[in-house]
Order: sequence, then C-alpha cells, then structure tokens
Amino acid sequence: MIHTRHKPLEEILQMLSGATKVAVLGCGGCVAFYRTGGAAQVRELAEKLGEHLQVVSLGVSNRQCYLCREEELSGLRDAERIRKIARELEGFDRLEEVEAVLSLACGVGVQNLAGLLELPVYPAQNTLFMGRRRVEGDFDIELCVGCGDCVLGYTGGICPVTRCSKSLMNGPCGGVFNGLCEVSRATGEEIPCAWVEIYRRLKKLGRLEELRRIREPRSHAASGIPRRVKVQEGAG
Amino acid sequence: MKVYSRFMESLRSSRFTVSGEIDPPKDANPAEVVEQVEALREHVVAANVTDNPIGDVIMCTLATCVIMQQHGLEPIYQATCRDRNRIALQSDVIGAAALGIRNVLALTGDHPRMGKSRDAKPVFDLDSVLLTRTLSTLRSGRNLSGEELAHAPEFHIGVGLSPGVEPIEAEIIKLEKKIEAGAEFVQTQCIYDEKVLERLREETSHLDVPILPGIAPLRSLGMAKFMLANVPGISIPDEVMRRLESSRDLKETAIDIAAELVSAAKDYGFPGVHIMPVGMHMHVGEIIERSGVR
Repeated sequence: MIHTRHKPLEEILQMLSGATKVAVLGCGGCVAFYRTGGAAQVRELAEKLGEHLQVVSLGVSNRQCYLCREEELSGLRDAERIRKIARELEGFDRLEEVEAVLSLACGVGVQNLAGLLELPVYPAQNTLFMGRRRVEGDFDIELCVGCGDCVLGYTGGICPVTRCSKSLMNGPCGGVFNGLCEVSRATGEEIPCAWVEIYRRLKKLGRLEELRRIREPRSHAASGIPRRVKVQEGAG
Repeated sequence: MKVYSRFMESLRSSRFTVSGEIDPPKDANPAEVVEQVEALREHVVAANVTDNPIGDVIMCTLATCVIMQQHGLEPIYQATCRDRNRIALQSDVIGAAALGIRNVLALTGDHPRMGKSRDAKPVFDLDSVLLTRTLSTLRSGRNLSGEELAHAPEFHIGVGLSPGVEPIEAEIIKLEKKIEAGAEFVQTQCIYDEKVLERLREETSHLDVPILPGIAPLRSLGMAKFMLANVPGISIPDEVMRRLESSRDLKETAIDIAAELVSAAKDYGFPGVHIMPVGMHMHVGEIIERSGVR
C-alpha cells in the first residue's frame, strides 16, 4: 500500500492562502487503512484548520486513485462532482461555497482529483512509498520502487532494487557490517543488508545458484519518468 | 594473455609484489601527490589512487594518476560506481587508457551518506561485478552499446575483497562472479589478524587469481579503535591492541606490526601485499625491509 506523512500545518496554510472556505477530503484507500487520511484524520485536520479558515465541508471519498469514469461526471459542476465521489460527507449544502479542496490522499489521488475538478486541489500529505507495516516493529518499510523490471523471482522474494541502499544487482557490497547496510553506521538506524537477507533466503531454499549468476545491468529505460502503459483489453 | 603493465608483469613473475596507495589531496596542489610518489617509488611496483573515499571530495583519480606517471610511479586507477553511470565510467576508463593508464580496479564505492556529501545522489547504475565485465568488454574491443572499438583500451582489471565480512560465502560468491567477469587481480580491505589471512587462503584456494592482502599500518590506538568501529569485518587481535597501548614509540610499533603482517602474508603463500600507508608513506620502505620479504 501507499505510505504517507502529514505535511506541516504551516505548509498547508501557505498553500491555501487566499481561500477562506475549503473542503477537506480524505481517501478511502491506503491512507484510510493506515489511519493517515481516513475520517478521523480528516476531522482532526479540519479542527486545526478551523482556527485559521472555514472548513465548510469535510468527508472521505472513495479511493481517489480511482473515483469514477470521466464520462459519469460530464456536465456536472464541482459541487455535484464532489457529492458523487464522496463516501461520507458533512456540509453537503455548503459545497457551492468551497474555494479550494484539501486532499489527504496520496499523490496519485490528489492528481486524479485535481484533474476532475475546476477548483484548486492541494495535498495535505507527502507521499512516501509503496510498502507495508512491519509486523514486528514500529516501522513502515518500503518494498517496491516500481522499477518496471521485477527481479523478485531470482532473489528469494526480497527486492534488492528497493531494499539495498545502492540497488546492487550481484550480491552484498563490502560495506555490510554485522548483517546491516553500511548506511546504518551513518544514520544510526538498523537497516538490514538486503543482500545478506537474499543470500540467507536463497540458501534456505536451496537456490544459491541464483546468486552465482551474473545479473545484467538494470534497464533504466523501464523506469524513466514519466511512464505510461497501454490499458489491456478487459481491464477495469 | 598480454601483459600491459609493470604491475601485472610482477604478478606473473615469481617476485613478491607490493602495491601501494596514493591519497589524492582535497585541493589542487600537485606537490602533495608528488611527495607521496617520491616516498613510494623505490618500494612499490605500482600504487592505487582512491576515488573520493566515503564521498568526500578530493582531486580526481585521473589527474592524480597522470601526475604519478609524470613522476615515475605506475598508477592503479580505482573506479567506483557511486558517482558515475555506465556512460561516464566507460568514457573515463577509455580516456585513462589513452593517457597510458594500464591498471584499473573496479569497486562498488561507499554510499555518499557515509561522508561529508551526504545529500549527493547515489548513482550505482552498475555494481562492481558489472563494472568488471564492462572493463572486459571494452578491452575486448566493444563498448556496452555494442559498437566496435578500433583501438581497444589496454589495461588490467582488478577487484576488491572484504575478507572479514559475514557471511563470507556471499562475499566469495561475489568474488567468483568478478573473476568470471574478467578480474585478473584482487586487492583486499585491510587485515590485522593472521587468522583472517589463513581463512582467506582457505576460502580462495580454488581461485586462480593473485590476491594481495591489504595492510595498513596502525599509527595509534585511536586509529585502531576507529578502524574497528568503521571498517566492516575488521578484527584486530588483543595482542596488537596491547602493543599499541604500551608502545613507547608508536611509529616503530606501527612499522613492526605492519612488517609482521607482510611477512605472514608471504608465509601463507600470497603473491604480494597491498600496502595502504594512510599518511605513513615515508615508512613503506621500512615496513617492507623489516618484513624480510625481499
């Protein structure tokens, strides 16, 4: 899922300067699951903003990365569009007054919403990465950078592109220190060496021959931005 | 197999081969390079030039190598993957070869987070195995885009090894890949423990490539403690720590300890050593003399 962190209130107010009546819209996807952009966080943020401006509508939308087909919205005004995409919303009647929308979705959701509305849409969060919550600790960890050329089949299901600080392709570097990445010594964090983990996993699986094979340089042609793919037939 | 350098010629002979290391200055003063060259020239067959270790900015490898050549010491050009993508790496080593550089050592490189340029973008487009193979490809007369080179660069390809890291099997597998990719010599991270020399011998006995254990004199107890905290996989025996602690003349003790390791490396059958003088360039000759290897 997508991991996010709230922007500082000062930065949000800076972006919203000029608007006095705003709508705050959470997202029903990843950020709701991780409680960074769901109903409770929308209410919390609206309260803080309330000291500086009027939050006339607040609520949570469906996943902002996929709200609806554009044709379903054709001919509708912004207020009607927001009503259509909202999952739960307070201040329906005041939507016409809204001058700006603040979204707690990830960068994908914010951009999608911004593309659907005439009103300016601002992000309340910084989007961090695709990952998961580590069960055994207090960390969310990044697991996939979306490199476009997945190597998990050769690395015991552990991604070196994401989890090796140098994105190396052919085994641990000489900086590995008690099973930790050398960057751990600079930052004081305990960052496991991805390649030591890969080595251990492959050894356990009896597949060390995967480690013995020279892996080709990654193609950055597959991960150059901006990327797009053609929608496959039958896809939703 | 052709021999392009004095260093490789020495490795192919039965002579015990000693390489040294030059630390480029952080400013534009060539005299600092010349001074180190003059200290080493009579004692080592060639010397490495580091590539901005831990990402701290110093004089570039190529310029330092050229100054060395002008003053009669053969360079071993260290290329790392930290700051350069495959375009810049190929371009640099082709240029180095055109300037007469005949030894290139392929390394991954430290993460920039380790030093004073911690916000710099880490490149790592290639890794040490892929850089090794890239050097082999260039030498065979082709670049990575598949174009033929009428005049292929002529250099020998070396690689690094961290002999103390765990799991050692992963490190040895990586070394095997480097050899498959074309590595012709190996220089290791510094070793202070004869047990590590012994283990290195055992772990690499199946490999047909000259391995030069890295030896760096320990100038003080503080340096020893720093190395223990900062160099991965390093071990320094208690006895060595005690000798530094009780030493009345640290310079003499440092030379003695280093000389004993050089001698031990020869006894374990290594074809030479790589001495990293870390500021003790003036005493490299003394270390070799006391070791009795010549």
